[in-house]
Amino acid sequence: MLGEIMLGQYFPGNSFVHGLDPRTKLIATLIYIVVIFLAKTPLMYGILVAFGILVVLLSRLPIMMVVRSLKPVWLIVAITFVIHAFTYPGTEILWQWKFMKITQEGLELGTKMSFRLTLLLLFSSVLTFTTSPIVLTDGIEKLLRPLKCIGVPAHEIAMMMTIALRFIPTLLEETDRIMKAQKARGADFGKGNLVKRIKNTLPLLVPLFVSAFRRADELATAMEARCYRGEEGRTRMYELAYRKEDYLTFIFMIVFLMMIVGMRFL
Amino acid sequence: MILIKNLKHIYKDSQNQEVEALKDINLEIADGEFVAIIGANGCGKSTLAKHLNGLLLPTEGEVSVDGLNTADMDNLFQIRQKVGMVFQNPDNQIVAAVVEEDVAFGPENIGVPSEEILERVNNALMAVDMLPYAKHAPHRLSGGQKQRVAVAGILALEPKYIVWDEPTAMLDPAGRREVLHTALRLNKEKHITMIYITHYMTEALQADRVIVMSRGSVVMQGSPKEIFSQNKLLEKYSLEAPLAVRMSDKLRQRGAKLSEQIITNQELAEGLCPSN
Repeated sequence: MLGEIMLGQYFPGNSFVHGLDPRTKLIATLIYIVVIFLAKTPLMYGILVAFGILVVLLSRLPIMMVVRSLKPVWLIVAITFVIHAFTYPGTEILWQWKFMKITQEGLELGTKMSFRLTLLLLFSSVLTFTTSPIVLTDGIEKLLRPLKCIGVPAHEIAMMMTIALRFIPTLLEETDRIMKAQKARGADFGKGNLVKRIKNTLPLLVPLFVSAFRRADELATAMEARCYRGEEGRTRMYELAYRKEDYLTFIFMIVFLMMIVGMRFL
Repeated sequence: MILIKNLKHIYKDSQNQEVEALKDINLEIADGEFVAIIGANGCGKSTLAKHLNGLLLPTEGEVSVDGLNTADMDNLFQIRQKVGMVFQNPDNQIVAAVVEEDVAFGPENIGVPSEEILERVNNALMAVDMLPYAKHAPHRLSGGQKQRVAVAGILALEPKYIVWDEPTAMLDPAGRREVLHTALRLNKEKHITMIYITHYMTEALQADRVIVMSRGSVVMQGSPKEIFSQNKLLEKYSLEAPLAVRMSDKLRQRGAKLSEQIITNQELAEGLCPSN
C-alpha cells in the first residue's frame, strides 16, 4: 500500500517547458517567487496570474492534474486567509462579535496572501512536473557550484539527493514488509489515540533504521569499489547545456522582473 | 594476474577479541581463469574477496594485482578500475534512480569523456541483456535483473577481473541462473577473469578451478572433478557435494557401475542410461 506513493511528480513530455535546462527553470521559478512578493495592485496580480496560466499552457500538462496538485495545501491557504482576515489591525470594521472582528484591510491582505501562496505552489509544481528529479538534482549541483568557494558542498548535496531519490522506494517497500511482519504477530497500527499510534510506530522505526544504516554501509563500500572518490576528476554522462530557448527564457524573465519592479516602485 | 602471498587478516570483534579471519593464504589467479571459491558460512571467503580490490588490507602478507600492491594507497584507484566487484545484495549497490545513470556511475568517477560514457553504458547494458531497460527505475526490476544492472555498472569500468561476492545468495532460482550464465558468458566472450564466491556447489561446477575454504584457510584446490568427487572430505568442511555426486555415490554402494568422475546431472543421466 505504501508502494503506491508517487516519487516526485514528474510528468514526462516534450513541451517547450520540458525541454528547458533545469537551471533555467530553477532560476525562472526564483524570479517568479520574488515577483509574487513584489506584487501589490490588482493589475500586478492579474499579470502574474496570466503569466502562470501561460506557463501551464506552454507545459502542456493536463490542467486537472495541475489543479489537483494544489489539493493537499488548500487547507494551509484557507488558514492563512482566515488568520489574516481576523488578526489584521485595520480600521474599516466590517463585522464584529465580542473580541473578534473582520476588517477591510484584513480581508484584502488575506486575499493577497492566498493568491501569493497559490501562485507560488502552482509555479513550483510546474517545475517538478516538467523536470525529472535526477535532472533537477543536476541543475541544483551546477547552480550551487559557484558557492563552493564559501564552503557549500554542492557535489555532496547533489549526491545525497540522488541517493535519497534512489532509496525512497526501497525503504518504502521495506517499511511495508516490516509492517506486514508485525501485523502478522498482532501489531495494530491503525487503532488508538494519537499518542498510542505514535508509540505503535516505534517497533517499526527501529528495524527500519537498523536496516537503513546497514544499507548505507554496504552502498558506501560498493561506491568505493566503483572508484568513487568525490567530485575529484569526475565527468558526467549528460552534461547540461543551455540552448536558444533558455536564453530567450532568461531575457523574458528579466524583462518581466523589471516590469513588475517598475510598476511597484515608480 | 592476482597474487596473494601469506595473507593474514586479523580484526577485532565487538568484544574486542582478536579474530583471525584469514590465516596464511597463498593463491595465484591467472588471467582469463574462472575460479570458484566455496566454503561454509564464516569461512572467510567474503573477507578474502574484499582483499582483492583493497577494500580490506592485509594484517600480514600481501596482495598484488598485476604487480600493484593493494597496501599502497596510491595504487588503490588503479586497482579498483582493474578489479570490479559484484556484491550480495543487488539493492545496496545501485546508486542512481535510473538504470543507465547507475551504469554510468563508474565511468563518471574515473573521468571518462561524456560521449565515451554513453558508448560504454550501451555496450555494458547490451552485454548483460538489459539494454531495453536503460531508462527504467531499478526498484521495479527483479532481483536477477538488478544484479545484472550491477554487473553492467562494473563492465562499464572495463575491468580485467570481476570478483563476485555471493551474487546469487538473495536471488530466486531463475535469478541465480541469469547471474551465473552472465558470469560464464562474460568470461568466455570478453575474457574477463572471474573470481566467483558462492555457497551453492552447483554454481562452481563449470569453473576452471575450485578453491575450498574452511576456517580462514584454503583447504582444497583443483578442477571441479577433483574437488566434487571427494564427497567425504567436503562433508568434513560442512559442504554438501552436488546432488549428482551424492546420488552416484549411493548408487555405487548399491552396486551400480558408475564412474567416480560424475559431478553434473547430465553426466549422471549419461552414466545411468548411455545414449549409444
